[in-house]
Order: sequence, then structure tokens, then C-alpha cells
Amino acid sequence: MIEEARHFTAELAVIGSGLAGFAASIFALNRNIKTAQIGNTGAIAYTTGYLDLLGSLAPDYAASIEDPWQGLELLRSSYPEHPLCRIPQTDIHTAFEQFTGFLGECGISYSSPGKTNARVLTPAGTLKPTLCMPATMQIGTTAFSRQEPCVIIDFKGLKGFSSSQIAANLKDQWPELRNTTIEFPDMSLGEIYPEVMARALEVPETREKLAKILVGAAGETKIIGLPAILGMHSPDLVRKEMEQLTGLEIFEIPTMPPSVPGIRLREMFEQLFPQKGITLIPQQKVDKLKIEQDGARLFLSDSFGPITVDAKSVILATGRFLSGGLEASIDGITEPLLNLPVTQPGSREEWYREKYTDRRGHEINKAGIEVDASFRPLDNNGAPYSNNLFAAGVILAHQDWIRGRCGAGVAIATAYKAVEEVEKYLS
Amino acid sequence: MAEPTIPTINFKEKAEELLPQGASFESCLTCGLCSSGCPASGIENMDPRKFIRMAMLGMDEELSSSKWIWACTQCKRCQHVCPMSIDISQLVFLARSNWPQEKKPAGIVRSCQLIQSTDSTSAMGLPPEDFVFVVNDVLEEVRELQPKFKNLEAPMDKKGAHFFVNQNSREPMSEPDEMVPLWKIFDIVGADWTYSSKAWAAENFCMFSGNEKAWFEVIRKRVDAVNKLGCEVWLNTECGHSYYTMWNGINRFGMEVDFKLESLVTYYARWIREGKLPVNSDWNRKNIKFTVQDPCMIVRKAYGDSIAEDMRFVTKALVGEENFIDMQPNRSANYCCGGGGGFLQAGMTEHRRTYGKRKFDQIAATGAAYVLTPCHNCHSQMEDIGHHYGGSYGVVHFWTLICLSLGVLGENERTYLGPDLLECI
Ligand SMILES: Cc1cc2nc3c(=O)[nH]c(=O)nc-3n(C[C@H](O)[C@H](O)[C@H](O)COP(=O)(O)OP(=O)(O)OC[C@H]3O[C@@H](n4cnc5c(N)ncnc54)[C@H](O)[C@@H]3O)c2cc1C
Ligand code: SF4
Ligand code: SF4
Ligand code: SF4
Repeated sequence: MIEEARHFTAELAVIGSGLAGFAASIFALNRNIKTAQIGNTGAIAYTTGYLDLLGSLAPDYAASIEDPWQGLELLRSSYPEHPLCRIPQTDIHTAFEQFTGFLGECGISYSSPGKTNARVLTPAGTLKPTLCMPATMQIGTTAFSRQEPCVIIDFKGLKGFSSSQIAANLKDQWPELRNTTIEFPDMSLGEIYPEVMARALEVPETREKLAKILVGAAGETKIIGLPAILGMHSPDLVRKEMEQLTGLEIFEIPTMPPSVPGIRLREMFEQLFPQKGITLIPQQKVDKLKIEQDGARLFLSDSFGPITVDAKSVILATGRFLSGGLEASIDGITEPLLNLPVTQPGSREEWYREKYTDRRGHEINKAGIEVDASFRPLDNNGAPYSNNLFAAGVILAHQDWIRGRCGAGVAIATAYKAVEEVEKYLS
Repeated sequence: MAEPTIPTINFKEKAEELLPQGASFESCLTCGLCSSGCPASGIENMDPRKFIRMAMLGMDEELSSSKWIWACTQCKRCQHVCPMSIDISQLVFLARSNWPQEKKPAGIVRSCQLIQSTDSTSAMGLPPEDFVFVVNDVLEEVRELQPKFKNLEAPMDKKGAHFFVNQNSREPMSEPDEMVPLWKIFDIVGADWTYSSKAWAAENFCMFSGNEKAWFEVIRKRVDAVNKLGCEVWLNTECGHSYYTMWNGINRFGMEVDFKLESLVTYYARWIREGKLPVNSDWNRKNIKFTVQDPCMIVRKAYGDSIAEDMRFVTKALVGEENFIDMQPNRSANYCCGGGGGFLQAGMTEHRRTYGKRKFDQIAATGAAYVLTPCHNCHSQMEDIGHHYGGSYGVVHFWTLICLSLGVLGENERTYLGPDLLECI
């Protein structure tokens, strides 16, 4: 069959479609750098929607941090290798501002980065610190801090979100909290997913039906918390309309994955990036990457055939084990695209501590690649692998983002820094 | 005679043979993104994650006989959202192939048999001579009654024509006038095209019936017909699965062909860009709203987003940018309508409509008065669920709107127009 090979060129190729990859493309867009981004769904579809900067401090991750900016100062002395310690605070702040600003412009409003962490509700009904949250979730935080009466509502057939569990867990800290269970209108088949409810709520008729049920469920209470289901494409609008229809204040709480806030982000990026001039090749992995002095060539293929991308510079944002940025085998941990050296524990025995729940975390969760001050990956000799190769996100060594509650922080801040360095390189 | 039984497949073993290197079902994280995003979830108490898990647990008997495989349209949305790129539709195809012919949904089997029954490869069994007759008959009438088109042509078996154009059976069988708008478009752009009296049909339900041999035979006939006429491009009409079964079949069966496979949509876009199809949206004075349905068979499963962009370009040119509202989700992330995979033929009406509820919600959320789609199955399914769930939208072919915009849509070519559109003529 006669096929045409597809070929793209760009100033910057971003490899990876996690938070770091998407953030890098946004920052590149803001700097007018012609960008191509490649990568299949990463952890982004699993996120709660909360953007954490720093919630807990290495090395022992004891107390939860209220002021992440002060926390970053402390981190500098307790764990200076951490990637966040290599970036000026003003840059981190700008990075979060630009990132949340972009999301807001595209229809998913976020709170701006503030001076302190907010205490937000998790699907399990615990509280955790985060820096920025979707606007749809904000009222939950204020209602909690003001200790206002509130009803958490869940749905028959919905798994991964239990209003009774949330209410039970928060009973001591939020005595005015109640819970109840209702049926979602016109959904009959066994298990129902938040994604399906969210899409159904994009239809005005479903909103009207649900509003009636919610009013009944709220009783005298004026504030209600729902699982994150308030629309997929236009959550702010759906929430506003539901508030108008019910006369209640409504907020969302994230559910267990697969959760709507993550899918919202992914679908929004996938739809808007091409419109904004970014060459986005979603759902595909780069098979081979060739870095040369004056440029790079990426090889991949989709169901339609082979694709090549030529770029002057590359940002590697391929994540860790879950996403395939790092691979673990009997012989140790490797980086599959360029075989970059990976900083890792000396032997497999040291990957994990004895107790899985050890608060200090496990050494394997700090594995990753090394970069210089310009976020260029280092080769075996400790020199930059190439002048036009940069890295960002959780592929970087010396951070345990789960324990440190700094997933988005590492992704967004290092992406900002890497793009800044790309711009310098390109000029 | 004893009821034929469904043999048991060892799914785990088969999966290892089927999947490309590195993409193993073992890598499933059981995250549920596939099930959450699959309109067939819950039907027959099954969903894609459950299917994979049962396969991994060796619950082969239950899976081998699960009726759910006929409710999965093989739309590959699960693979699209899966972080591990796991393709469940392959297991579904395998399971379908495994059912004894007598047990498979009779409608799909019959459609495949009809395709094999004549040289037309028509799922409605329309033989070549009847097709030729209908085409000529309709052509004559147009030449007579529409003076603007008194020289219109519908070439048959023209050797060396640039485009080999296929044709859905539905038109020559039951609504022959619907063929005319496309002929007019070819006439206006001056395309060098031909129909073929053999292997002209666009449907291919043999793939969906899980009959690989028959699928191959159909594709072979079609490839031979194009080669025989020496055409450079096999131009697929407004139909999703006929493109996919041909394109995928040629790759799957390792066939050698020296023509290109193209979709009509990309040519609409090209001709508009080149100024050969001078469409505009001036006619849409009442700002009637339109959305588009991305057929998964040509978007997600084949071309990817590039053809989805072409569809949007054409739509905006036709109806006005401000009158186009995108469905959510869209392009490669779009939901299958629920008419695919042979669902429309399978006779499982209730399941099909349950599946289609997701599409109905998507359309309802846009508030559009019309859905444009270049796929006959999508077309039928969206009309059906619209009636069933009380929607007020209409479904139109691209060719209809193109001719409407150009002011050349004949009286008999307006079946799918509601009163609001008729008023715009
Ligand atoms: C369940 C879960 C919940 C989370 N919740 C939160 C939260 O509440 N708050 C928060 O701040 N953070 C949260 N995170 C963390 C956050 O989503 C990101 O994981 C983190 O920020 C890392 O982002 P990343 O882009 O570096 O890596 P990843 O998100 O892992 O993305 C890596 C990307 O690279 C791609 N890739 C890998 N190899 C290739 C290749 N060869 N070619 C092309 N692409 C490739 C992958 O497909 C993937 O898209 C959560 C993560 C998980 C898993
Ligand atoms: S999306 Fe993929 S990884 Fe997740 S449950 Fe489905 S098949 Fe498994
Ligand atoms: S192919 Fe489509 S219908 Fe089948 S399991 Fe996947 S998403 Fe569902
Ligand atoms: S009918 Fe349309 S949406 Fe459904 S499988 Fe076919 S092309 Fe896809």
C-alpha cells in the first residue's frame, strides 16, 4: 500500500504527556517556542486535581507543612539535592501562576498559588496540604475552616467514594458534617463511574433532574459536597448552574482514580494544544531518540504508520516506573530511551526498607537521572549528555514526591526551569 | 441436532501471541480508565477491565461464552485512554471468531453471507447488474430534470480513472437519489472518477462477524477490482468501517497494492482549500447549529486527529464557524456511537441503545440542531437513539450540506433536511 511518512519539525520536542510534559509545553508556548509534544496518558488521568508544591519534609516526612515557601527554605538545609532546591522561589511561584492561569483561561479555573498550603479533602476523608486546587473544590476548604454545616452526598453504584466514610473520618474535626446517599438520575446499570456522571451533567436536562434530588437530600443544610462529577468539559459552568438550580453552595471532593479532575485536564490539553499551535502526538511513545550536536530526531509510529520529529532541543519528561521513564529489572534501574545513568541504591536489597509503611519512604523512590544546574542530564562522566537535551518531572533523582507531597511541584517547577534553559540554548 | 457449543479459548496464551512486543495484558494496572470510558461497560455485567482480569485469572469458559463481546464495538477507545495501551478489542475479535456460526448474532452473519453472495460485495446482496441499472437510471433522470446537470456523469468501470469510488448499498437499494449529491460534487471539482460494477460496495461486516477468512476474501475482491481498473486512489465514501476494514485488512493480510487508500473527507477539505468547491455559509442566515460525529473507524482507529481536523474545517466552511459546536469528548477521544461493530445488524436493540445513551448525551449537551457525520452506521445509530431518547436533532451527510451550500441540491435529495434547513434553500 502506498503510504506517506509523516514528518514534523519543531524547536523543542517534549517527550512525555504527564504534568511535567504538559507544563513544559505551556511554558514553551508562553515563550513562543515552536513545540512538539509526544507521549501517552501518564499519571495525569489519575490525579486528584490538587497541585501540591510541598506538603511534607525530607528526610523523615514528619509534620505536614503549612507554609510551603518556608518549607522550601528548610529543604535547602535538610536535603539540598532535591530538584526543588535548585530553582529560585520566585521562579516556582511564576511557574504555578502561569500553569494555573493557563488552565483558567482554558475553562478549568484554579486557585492561584498562595502564601500557605490549603487543607483539602481527600477521597478517604482525610485532610492534606496542597497549594492550588480546582475552583470547584474551594468551598469545601472554606466550609471546613469555618466549621459550617455541610452534607456530603454519594451515589448508589458509585465505587471509590463513600460519604459515610468521609463523614466518619472527619467527625471529630467537623462536627457539623453529615452524609447521605442518593440515586443518580437515569443510570441503571450496576457500577457507575464518575466519568459517566460528569458527562451526563453536561446535559441541561440531567442537571435539572439531579438538582431536584439534591435539594431533597440537603434538607436544611445550605452547603453540599459531591464527588468530583460536575461536568467534564466545563466544570465551572456546571457547578454554577447547579448552584443556581438548587440554591445551595456546592463543592467537589476528588474520588479514587479513575477520577474526573485528571480526565478533565487530559482532555483539555489534548483538545487545546493543537489549536494553540503545538504539534501534539498523544497516546504514542517515542521508540528511539537520536541526539546530535545540532539537533535531535525522534522516531515513533501510530496506527497509521511511522512518524519522525526533528527538533533543535529536547525535554525528557518521561516520568518514573509507572510511565516507563525508568525501568527496573534484576540488574537494576535503567533509563530506556538514551540509557542515561540512573542514580539508585547500591543493590536491590536497598530498594525498600523493611516496613513498607516506613514514614521515611524507600530508597527506590528517590532513583532517577542527574542533571546539571541547567537541567541537562549528565552522562557517565558527570558531564552534560548534550547541550540540547534537558529533563523535567519525576524522572529526576533525589525526590520522593509521594512522601514529600510535591508531585505537581516537581513537575511544574522543573518544567519551567528546563524551558527557560531551552530558550537560552535556542538563542 | 445438538446445540453447537462455544469452544473455550485460552485467552492468556492467545494474548501473548496476539500482542505486539512489550504490550502485555499482564501490565494492566487495573486502574479502570478503560471501563470508565467505555460505553459498553455494565452491559451483560461486563466491562473491559473485568474482561482483562478474568482473562488473566483464566476464567476462560465464562469469557468464551460472554455475550458482551457482541456489545463491544471494537472501537478501541479503551486502548486510547489506557496508560499501558492495552487493546481489548483484539481479545474481543478473537472471542467473536471462536463462536460457532449458528450461535453468532444472525444479523451480522447474514450481512457477511450476503457480502460473499455476489461480486458486488454488497451487504444487501445487490448484484452488479442491478447496481449498474440503478446508477444509470438515476443518472438519466437527473440529466432530464436538472438542466444544470444535463451532462452529469457517473462513470462505470472506467479504466485508468484517478479515483475508484465505492458506494454504500443503502443508497442504490433504498434511497437512490442520495447518490446524486456526490456525483455533483465530482462534477463541480472536475474529478476523474469511476464506480466499478464489481466490488463496489462499501460495507464489510465479515470482520465484525469474526470471520477472518471471509474478511480477507472481501478485501481481496476489492483490491483486485481497483487493480483491474488501474486507479491510483481507492476513495472511500462517507463510511467509517469500510475504510477501516480495507486499510487494516490490507496490512493484516500483508497484501501488495499499488494504489492509495483515501477518505472522501480529506478530499472535501482539499477541494475547499483549493477553491474547487466554492462552498460558503451565507445560506445559514438563521444560524442553525451543527456538531460533528468523529467516526472511530476513520479517526481514532486509522488516520488519527488529522482527518478530524479536516472534518471540522469542512464543517465550519459549510455552516459558519460560529455555528459549529464540538461534541465533548471529540476527535480521537470521541465515543463510538454504538452502531458499529455490527451492533446495528446484531438485533440486540436494547443493549445498542444503552450503549448509545452516551452518544445521545454528548449530542444533547451541544444543543445542536444537526449532527454531520461521514459514516453510514453512525448516521443510522444517531437517528435511532435520537428518536428513542426523545432528541430533536437531525443527522445529515456532508454531501447534502455541500450541495445545499452550493445551491445545487435537487428536490429529491433533501430527505435528511428538517423544515429549518429546507427554509434555507
Ligand atoms: C494516583 C496518583 C495520584 C496523584 N495525585 C496527585 C495530587 O493529588 N497532587 C499532585 O500534586 N500530584 C499528584 N500525582 C503526581 C502527578 O500526577 C505526577 O505523577 C507527577 O507530577 C509527575 O509528573 P511527570 O510528568 O514527571 O511524570 P508522569 O506523570 O509519570 O508522566 C510521564 C509521561 O511520559 C510518558 N512517556 C514515558 N516514556 C515515554 C516515551 N518513550 N515516549 C513518549 N512518552 C513517554 C508517559 O506516557 C507519561 O505521559 C499523582 C500521581 C498518581 C499516580
Ligand atoms: S486502562 Fe489499561 S491499565 Fe487501566 S485497567 Fe484498563 S487495561 Fe488495565
Ligand atoms: S473497544 Fe470500545 S466498546 Fe470495546 S471495550 Fe474498548 S472501549 Fe469498550
Ligand atoms: S458506527 Fe461510527 S462510531 Fe460506531 S464504530 Fe462505526 S465508525 Fe465508529
